[in-house]
Amino acid sequence: MPFAETPLRDEYAAAVERVAGRTLDALRGGGGTAALADPDTVVPRPLLAAVRVLGADLFAPQLLTGAEPDGPTAALLAEARRAFPAPVPASPEAAQAIAWQDWAAGRVLARTPYADTAPGSVPDSASDHVPDRVPGHGPGHAPGSASDRGPGHAPDHVPAPLPGPAELGWQAWSVRMAQLSVLALPGLDGPVHDAARTDHLALARGAVRAMLRRDFTTAVRLARWLAWAGAEDRPPHLEVEPILDRIRLVGIGAVRTRLELAIAERLSEGNPR
Amino acid sequence: MTTDTEVLATAQQLGTRALSWLHTCYQGGWGRLADNTIIDLAEPNDVYKPLCEAAMASSLVLRDGVAGPQDARAARDMLDGAWAQLREGDMLYERQLRHVTVTDPLETYAHFARVGYRHAALEELLESISRLRAVHAVEIQGSRQLAVANARRVIGLSHRPDWAELAARTWLGALPEPWTIAWSIAYQVTHTVFHLTDWGARPEDLPEPMRDYLRAWLPVWLDIWMEIGQWDLVGELLIVDACIGRPMLGSSGWEALAAVQRADGLVPRDAEPVEEDPESAIRAHEHTAVVAVVAATVLLSRALGGAGAAAG
Repeated sequence: MPFAETPLRDEYAAAVERVAGRTLDALRGGGGTAALADPDTVVPRPLLAAVRVLGADLFAPQLLTGAEPDGPTAALLAEARRAFPAPVPASPEAAQAIAWQDWAAGRVLARTPYADTAPGSVPDSASDHVPDRVPGHGPGHAPGSASDRGPGHAPDHVPAPLPGPAELGWQAWSVRMAQLSVLALPGLDGPVHDAARTDHLALARGAVRAMLRRDFTTAVRLARWLAWAGAEDRPPHLEVEPILDRIRLVGIGAVRTRLELAIAERLSEGNPR
Repeated sequence: MTTDTEVLATAQQLGTRALSWLHTCYQGGWGRLADNTIIDLAEPNDVYKPLCEAAMASSLVLRDGVAGPQDARAARDMLDGAWAQLREGDMLYERQLRHVTVTDPLETYAHFARVGYRHAALEELLESISRLRAVHAVEIQGSRQLAVANARRVIGLSHRPDWAELAARTWLGALPEPWTIAWSIAYQVTHTVFHLTDWGARPEDLPEPMRDYLRAWLPVWLDIWMEIGQWDLVGELLIVDACIGRPMLGSSGWEALAAVQRADGLVPRDAEPVEEDPESAIRAHEHTAVVAVVAATVLLSRALGGAGAAAG
């Protein structure tokens, strides 16, 4: 347990690692639930914060095996989203990343009895930089269709789509896609996913660049996107398995990153989408 | 998409200034083989190799014919000077006669033969040597094999290699995982392309899978080596981009090289400080100037419809 003097930030970071570890165990155990909290006790705030940080990835063990998101974890995530307002974004780009990460969590929750009842608390409307409601309008994307793809029924607030690699350059664009790797899960689909399909080569370049720069956190997140797109029979610009193997052997520290690696491995094995 | 005229202008200025710096260094006395130089070179990298590299760049300037009159004169002057240093090819001839399986006389002679400096006895010798099984069995890297094959092709020797097999035996030919490239391997890749395409004169000779592979990953390699200021390799990647058909790397590499080029034309090979002593400076940065001249020459030549192809 942390000492009383432990700075709050460290305590919360440790909680993220713990929750990621539980989720990773569940994923390796074959899709069980992570049993993150004792239902009879008050949930500690660091745990709630960690749950909010991990968002949709909490349900990776189920989504990757074609199971439904589990109720206790959904209840916990819904509570975390109520308890913690969206962090104050440092930039419009960060605001957009947070909005998309929350969109993913909201989409998964919509499949459970714990769908958001107060969408106003969802941070996509918490920032002036992100329009309250932007219909998906990527290339070839019918307005509003993103909302219709998932199994959820509640109306969605779809954040603004990212600018593409043509506008940002493939380097900056791929880094921003890496920040949205939590969206690369079976059952989630929208304008960001359309971009991953369309700009597969830019993702692959970003992954190779990250590997060569030994930025394995970014590399694993982009490899995860590539594995996600590969599960849809996209033409492979880059073999994902050797990259994942390499990252595994080099050894990456954070449990959260190891969770992403495990998710990418499952996606590249071609699990149900 | 044709190459942006601004990129062409940047490249043209970069190449002209690099050529002028090289020419000034040679006029100032750099690059003289010692009077007692014999066919058993003690230090081939000392003067001989740079001399041959400058001759190579100069020969491409003349072959492609896209340089202005002043640049063409500088290129001709450097070739004349180098040819004189090599005793009109006699030194290459004697070295090749003594050492059957060395390849540097062959490769060096190709740069001169390309633009009309000929040595009949050396050609007869090279023709004879290329009929020996031993010469083709020498164990050398794939990209080096291509250098030798291209030298024979440029000179016009009768030996006909299996280009597809030679290409397949290189690192690039394996289409390897692009994140495994290392600095020294990158030079093997660039040289594989230089020789297969004869420095951009035959872009169509690069096998299609290799072209697609390069189009996918050249931008990544350019990006990472620009980030750490490996200017010499950045220049080589720009040559590759120009050699394989329509360039696709855009302006960033050219602008970066132009930005680091000094007023006298020197292009630093990397991000380390440049030596102030002229002798040390030419030793360290001669190769990067050669690269800059070749990059600009091939890019401009391809943009103007491939003068090299017309000459070949």
